[in-house]
Amino acid sequence: MAAVKPSLARALLRLFAVQGSYNYERMLGVGVGVAEEPLLRDLDEVQYRQAVARGAHFFNAHPYLIGLAVGAAARAEHDGASPDQVERLREALCGPLGSVGDRLVWAGWLPFLSGLTLVAIALGAGWVAVAAFLIVYNVGHVALRWWALRAGWTHGARVSVALHHPFLQRAGAVLAPAMAFTIGAALPLSTQYLAWPFEASARITLAIVAGLAFLALRWPRAAGHLNGLRLTLGLAAVALVVALVWP
Amino acid sequence: MNLPIEILLALLVWGTFVGIDLVSLPQMMIARPLVAGAIAGTILGDIPTGLKLGVMFELLQYDILPVGAVRYPEYGPATVAAVATAHASAGVLGLGLGALVGIVTGLIGGITINLLRRLNSTIVHAAAAALESGDPKALVRVHVGGLLRDAARAALVTATGLFLAWLARPLLAGALTTRGATLLAVAAIAAALAAGAAGTLRLVGRGPNLAWFGAGLGAGLLVAWLR
Repeated sequence: MAAVKPSLARALLRLFAVQGSYNYERMLGVGVGVAEEPLLRDLDEVQYRQAVARGAHFFNAHPYLIGLAVGAAARAEHDGASPDQVERLREALCGPLGSVGDRLVWAGWLPFLSGLTLVAIALGAGWVAVAAFLIVYNVGHVALRWWALRAGWTHGARVSVALHHPFLQRAGAVLAPAMAFTIGAALPLSTQYLAWPFEASARITLAIVAGLAFLALRWPRAAGHLNGLRLTLGLAAVALVVALVWP
Repeated sequence: MNLPIEILLALLVWGTFVGIDLVSLPQMMIARPLVAGAIAGTILGDIPTGLKLGVMFELLQYDILPVGAVRYPEYGPATVAAVATAHASAGVLGLGLGALVGIVTGLIGGITINLLRRLNSTIVHAAAAALESGDPKALVRVHVGGLLRDAARAALVTATGLFLAWLARPLLAGALTTRGATLLAVAAIAAALAAGAAGTLRLVGRGPNLAWFGAGLGAGLLVAWLR
């Protein structure tokens, strides 16, 4: 086990770039293969090459939790699992790792801390809030990547045990309401912060336009057609034309 | 926008790092507009402008949930370009022009991400035989190639954004009155607020978290009123 530790560290470092060759054919597969490769080096040459090739097959999941699949597949290769078993293990992990990671990170940890940072900036914390965001976020980020890789390597083909870890369940249950609360608080405070340089009439216009824009985005018939980018482009274009025609 | 070459280069390098961070390496969230804007502001010696545009684009970012192979605009390098634009024009005019340049850069960034993924697909497809042979050198070569292409893409998007920033002032600043500039800024901020609120509600759903969102909204309104 002691000899494996440097390999785990190398795999962890490579996991930070797991999406480097993101593509529509194998999704993250090539990156997964690259991250798994250091863990396969002590297999014999034939096994090693076959395992490296398998590692680079199609794979898609949340990038922070993908270490779980990397570690588990590498452990399964060491434990002598058949090629079919390794492929089935990888297939079985795609969905759960994606949904758990999306819920935990993209819909929890990240927007929660982002909302807190917006609140802090609006209350005058300045760049300190941004620095705190980066530090706190990445403590969680790096810890999650490391835990995932170690858990995968420890459990191998029985990695589903790790996916049911109570911490993951509790974190998901706590982060969702925390995220909802902080962004809820951030919206009016950010409005005040951004509208600060405007005169009263401009603030009223801002409130009306924001309200109408929100309704447009929530309008069921607009779903799939209208998004934040298109809305902003459209409103900016209208504002620009009005400003140039009616100076 | 007339900036010294060393500042422009620093912005270009920063925007490139930001662009790579979004997907490829290391996803430590310097690509978030809050961070991208604050550091761009620091490079320009104008942290307040960096934070203001960072907040605006962070709200727009809530409209995006980057799951699966979903396509989305790229607001990191866009925020860098927006801050560079706003820094050159004072007050509300800067805010409006910055938002305009940023949103166009974000659109371009999103398109290039999709194009890069298609290009990567072609290259991975062409290298299928080498990958299936289990050759680790071929594997690393394909992967590092993807990383380098993303770096080039991010640099190109940032450079395009900085070029738009350079164009915006002579083309638009002179043509806009104070009222026109205010209108542009109001439109951009209103859209960002609406997108932020709508995106958050999509995340929150109709379950019990909606009550937490309402409670947060109430708390935020109260604090804003008391200040």
